[in-house]
Amino acid sequence: MSSHADEPLGSGHGRFAPRPGPNRLQGLLWAGFANAAVLAALVVPAHILVQGVLGPLGIAPSFDRRYSTFAAALSDPLIKIYLLIVFAGTFYLCAHRVRYLVHELGVHGKLTVGLALYGLAAIGTVVAAYLLFTLP
Amino acid sequence: MSDRIGAGEVVEVRLDSERPSSPDGAVATQHRPPRTYPYRQPFTWWLRRRGYLLYMIRELTAVPIAVWMVLFLIEIARLRQGAGGYQPLASPAFVVVSLICLVFALWHTFTFLNLAGLIMRIPLGDRNLPARTIVRGAFVAFVVATAVVAGLIIWGGA
Repeated sequence: MSSHADEPLGSGHGRFAPRPGPNRLQGLLWAGFANAAVLAALVVPAHILVQGVLGPLGIAPSFDRRYSTFAAALSDPLIKIYLLIVFAGTFYLCAHRVRYLVHELGVHGKLTVGLALYGLAAIGTVVAAYLLFTLP
Repeated sequence: MSDRIGAGEVVEVRLDSERPSSPDGAVATQHRPPRTYPYRQPFTWWLRRRGYLLYMIRELTAVPIAVWMVLFLIEIARLRQGAGGYQPLASPAFVVVSLICLVFALWHTFTFLNLAGLIMRIPLGDRNLPARTIVRGAFVAFVVATAVVAGLIIWGGA
């Protein structure tokens, strides 16, 4: 204990002291969050509006209402890649925001919660990739 | 301590125990045990103010968006049942869930694109593009993206 008291405060030897230098992983996680959030903000409402409301109500046609049009659209590799990016982005966005939400509600273990949530997002992305790229 | 510290001036502050304790209490004394500050925020802190609640709702918008994308993924998985067995999601419950998710998705769009003016720095000569211009540009981009994506989905189904 005495050795601790001799050290200047914030000298970086304590348990919660940050490491020197920028935290590159945090930077990467937040950059990914910002990009995913912009992508979701721009394109997701259009998908929900047409495929979730207008299409099922019969107000407007939607490519997923019939097998022929849906399968034809999803056979295009560009559409596969686009949808995979949207799936990955929205799942990551959800994982990242819920991670900080859980932390702010006072639950400890940010690393464990983060690994679980990012892991779920990664599983969702892998499932989406499998479904999109192995379609008959 | 009557002298003001000038801008850009480097002041060395020593925090060792050899110096007498300063009035601001920033000096570590030798025989004081290290204090810990446990997290004491009540679980319902976000219900205390409208701003906190709106913040919480903003953060939660990501969940309905992800839920709807999972429903879309289920629909894609249904394609495996072939031309005869494919059933699109069409129940009234799906429409209601979609409407709720749409409200949250639009709230995410509104809040995040409004933040764009705060986050982005676009240099323009010797100053930055005004925040209001960036936000307007972001909303124009949203309208264009919505028109293009919705148009392609409708065109693909026609």
